[in-house]
Amino acid sequence: MLRALLYLRLTSFKNWLIARARRLRQPKYLIGAVVGCAYFYFFFFRSFSQSAGPRVPRAMTPEALQAMEAAQASLPVDWLPATTALGSLALLVFICFMWVVPAQRAALGFTEAEIAFLFPAPIPRRGLVHFRLLSAQFRSLVGAAVMMLFSNRWTIIGGNVATHAIGWWFIFSALNLHFSGASFTLTRLTDLGLGAWRRRAYLLGTIATVFVATGLRLPAEIAMPALGAGVELQPAIDWMVTLTQTAPLSWLLVPFKLVIGPFLAVDARHFLFALGPALLVVTLHYLWVVRSAVAFEDASVDYAQKRGARIAAWRSGERRPGTLPTKARTAPFLLASHGRPELAFLWKNLLSTWPYFNLRVFLGCAVVIVCSSLWLNTQPEWRPLLPGVGIMALVFGAYALITGPQFARQDIRSDLAHADTLKTFPLAGWQIVLGELLTPVVILTAVLWLTLLAIGFTFYPVSAGLAWLTLPVRITVGLGLAVIAPALVALQLLVPNAAALLFPGWFQASRMRGGGPEVIGQRMIFFFAQLLTMLLTLVPPVGLAALVIFILQWLVGPVAAVLVATVVVLVVLLGEAWCGLWLLGERFEKLDLSTDLKS
Amino acid sequence: MIEVQGLHKRYGNFTAVSDLSFAVRQGEVLGLVGPNGAGKTSTLRCLAGIIPASSGSVRIAGHDLAADPIAAKRALAFFSDEPRLFDYLTARQHLNFVARIYGVANHEAIAQPLLEEFEIADKADQLPGELSRGMKQKLAIACGLLHSPQVMFFDEPLTGLDPLGIRRMKNSIIKRARAGATIVLSSHLLHLLEEVCTHVLILKRGEKIADGTLAEVSARFSNGEANVNLEEIFLRATGGSDI
Repeated sequence: MLRALLYLRLTSFKNWLIARARRLRQPKYLIGAVVGCAYFYFFFFRSFSQSAGPRVPRAMTPEALQAMEAAQASLPVDWLPATTALGSLALLVFICFMWVVPAQRAALGFTEAEIAFLFPAPIPRRGLVHFRLLSAQFRSLVGAAVMMLFSNRWTIIGGNVATHAIGWWFIFSALNLHFSGASFTLTRLTDLGLGAWRRRAYLLGTIATVFVATGLRLPAEIAMPALGAGVELQPAIDWMVTLTQTAPLSWLLVPFKLVIGPFLAVDARHFLFALGPALLVVTLHYLWVVRSAVAFEDASVDYAQKRGARIAAWRSGERRPGTLPTKARTAPFLLASHGRPELAFLWKNLLSTWPYFNLRVFLGCAVVIVCSSLWLNTQPEWRPLLPGVGIMALVFGAYALITGPQFARQDIRSDLAHADTLKTFPLAGWQIVLGELLTPVVILTAVLWLTLLAIGFTFYPVSAGLAWLTLPVRITVGLGLAVIAPALVALQLLVPNAAALLFPGWFQASRMRGGGPEVIGQRMIFFFAQLLTMLLTLVPPVGLAALVIFILQWLVGPVAAVLVATVVVLVVLLGEAWCGLWLLGERFEKLDLSTDLKS
Repeated sequence: MIEVQGLHKRYGNFTAVSDLSFAVRQGEVLGLVGPNGAGKTSTLRCLAGIIPASSGSVRIAGHDLAADPIAAKRALAFFSDEPRLFDYLTARQHLNFVARIYGVANHEAIAQPLLEEFEIADKADQLPGELSRGMKQKLAIACGLLHSPQVMFFDEPLTGLDPLGIRRMKNSIIKRARAGATIVLSSHLLHLLEEVCTHVLILKRGEKIADGTLAEVSARFSNGEANVNLEEIFLRATGGSDI
C-alpha cells in the first residue's frame, strides 16, 4: 500500500518538475527564471564557495578579529550554549502553541483530490497517516533547503551547508510530527471530556510553574538583567543560558536541545554525535503519531474544502488567502440608484476590505494625533522628542506611498476574475478602471492625510538652518501635499493595475503559490518596473514645482510660491493620471482573459 | 433585435467562429447548439461584448456593439454557466450594486419580486459563500434581469439547478420572450431547447451548419421522416461528433 502512495507522491513531484521545466518555454517564465536564478546566485549560492572550510578565519579583516577578541566570545563554539538555549526556548514556544491554540478536532492536511481518491480506497487509517507523513517529508525537505540558504549566512553558528540542511530537516520533521501527534492527543483528551480552556489553563500553569521553580533555583549571582536602555547583552545571555541549564526547565528542554543538536553542531565530530539523539527523538515522535491516530476523516474533509476554496479564490485574485468573508457587513454608505456608477465600485470594494476603514475611525485617529501632539507640546521633557516623531511619520508616509499599492489591492487586481461580468456593464473602460481604483485611493489617501497631520503637529525647525520653515510655510506645504495626495496615490496605483491588465499572464503567474525562482524573478521584475515607472512619472511635476518655487519665491514670497507650485503639480499629476486611466480603460475593453492569460 | 453579420473570432491561429451571420427578432428564442468546441461560448461572449470579435458586426437592439458598446450593453444581459458573484456582497447588496451601475430607478420594487420569483428572498441577506450553487445561479440571473434587458444571452443556464428550478427557469425564459425580449440560449439539454426555443442554430467547428425555426431545421435533416426530435436532428447535422 505504501508503495502505491509513494508512487503517487513521487509521480506528482516528477510531473510538477516537468510542468515547470516545460513552461520555461514561455518568455514570462523564462525571463523570470533568469532574474530569479541571478538573485539566488548573488545572494545565496555565491557565498557557498566562500563558506567552504573553517568559518572563523575566512573573510576576517584584522579589525573584525580585534573586535572579536575584544568581545571574548566570537567562535561558533563559544556561542553554542547561547544558540542552544535560544533555539530550545524557541522550539518550546512553538510546541506550546501547538498544545494551546487548537480548538478543532484533529485534521490531516489532505488535498481535495487526495480525499476523493484515497478515502474511499481500501486503505487503513494508518496507511493514510503514513501518506500524510510522507507528504510532510517533502515539505520538510523543501523547507530545510530554503532555510539552509539563509542560515548559511549566519556567522555565529558552525557547520556547513550539509549539516545545516540536515539540521533543518530534523527540526522541521520533529515539528511536523509533533503537530500531528499533539492534534491527535488533543482530540482524544477532548473526547475524554477535557475542554479547551481547562486544557490551556493546565498547560500554561504547568509551564509557568516550571519557569518559576527554575528561577527560584538559579544561583544568587545570576540575576535577571534589569530592563531598560542600559541593558548589556552578555549578562542577559549568561542569565538565559543558566536558566535553560537549571532544572526543572533543563529537563523539559532536553528533547528540544537534542533536535537542534545537528543544526548547531560546530564541526563534523559534533554533528555525528548529535545525529543519533536527534534521530531518536524523531523516531519516538513517529511512533507516537502512528499509535495515537484518531478519527480524522471528517475534520480533514472540512479542512480540505476550506483550503481548496481559499486557494481557488486566491488564484483567481478575489481574496487574500484565509480572508474569505464569513459574515455579511453593513454597507459603508447608502448607495442610491442614480449617480456616478464609478461610486458603486467604491461602495462594493469598501465592503471587501476591513470594516475599520471608515470615516469614524479616520476622524478618531485624527483626534488622537492632534490631542496627543498638543499634549506632548505642553510637556517640557517630552517636547524635544516631537521632531523625531515627525521624521518617523515622514518615513512612514513615504513607505506607505511606495509600498501601499502592494497592500491596498481592492481594485482591478482583485476583480480580474470578474472581468467577464464587468465587461457586460454599460460603462466605458476608463469608468470601470476609475471605479476600481477609488477604494485604494481613498484608503491610502486617508493614511497619508493622517501622516501629514502627525508631521504638521510634531515638526518644528530645530536649527537655525531650518528657520525659513515658518508656520505659514509649513501649513501651506502640508495643505499642498494633502491636495496632491489623492492624485499621487492614483498614479501609484495605476502602475500595478497596468501590470495586471497589460500582462495578465505575468500578473497571474506571479500570484501562484509554490513559486520557484521564476515566480520570485517575476515579482522582482514587477517591483522594479513599478519603481522605475513612478520615478519617470514624478520627474515632470517635481521638476516643474521646483522651478516654480525657485522663480516665484523671490517675487511673491514662499507661501504664494508653494500654492502656485501645488496647482502646477496637481494639474500635471491629474493629466498623467487621466492619460493612464484612459489607456488602461482602452486596454480593459480589449482584454480577453481566456487568451491573455496564456501569453 | 440581434443582427450578426460575418462574425469571426480567432485565438491566434485557431478560428473559434467563422463567418457567422444570423438574426433574432423580438420575442424569439434562439437555441444555439453544437458539439463541445463548436464555438457556442465564444459566439455568446462576442455577442455580449465580453470579448472583441476578430471581424464582422453585431447589432444589439439597433446599436452597433463595436461603435456604441455602452448603448448596446445597456440593452443586454449575459448569464454565464458559472455564476460570478462577489464574495463579500450579500444577495441584496448585489442587486443594489447592479442597480447603480445600470441606473435602475426604484430598484427595490423590481428586486423583491425577482428574489421571490427565483425563491431566494429568504437568502437576501446572505453572502454567496452561504448559498448553494443553484441559488448562486438564481442570484446571478436575478441581477441580470434587474434592468429589464431587451436582449438576453444564456450560456448553459440550467447548470446546477434542481428540477423545480429548471422548470421555473424555463417558464421565466418563455415569459420574458412573450413579453418581447430576444433570447439566445446555449445548452446541451436538447429537450429543453425543444420546449423553449422558437429557432435553432447549429454550429460545428465554428461554422453554421443550419439555422431557422425548429420546423425548418427539422425538415432539412429529417429525410422525410415524421416526428424527428431535436436530438436526432443534432446528431445528423453534426455527424454525431463528440457524442
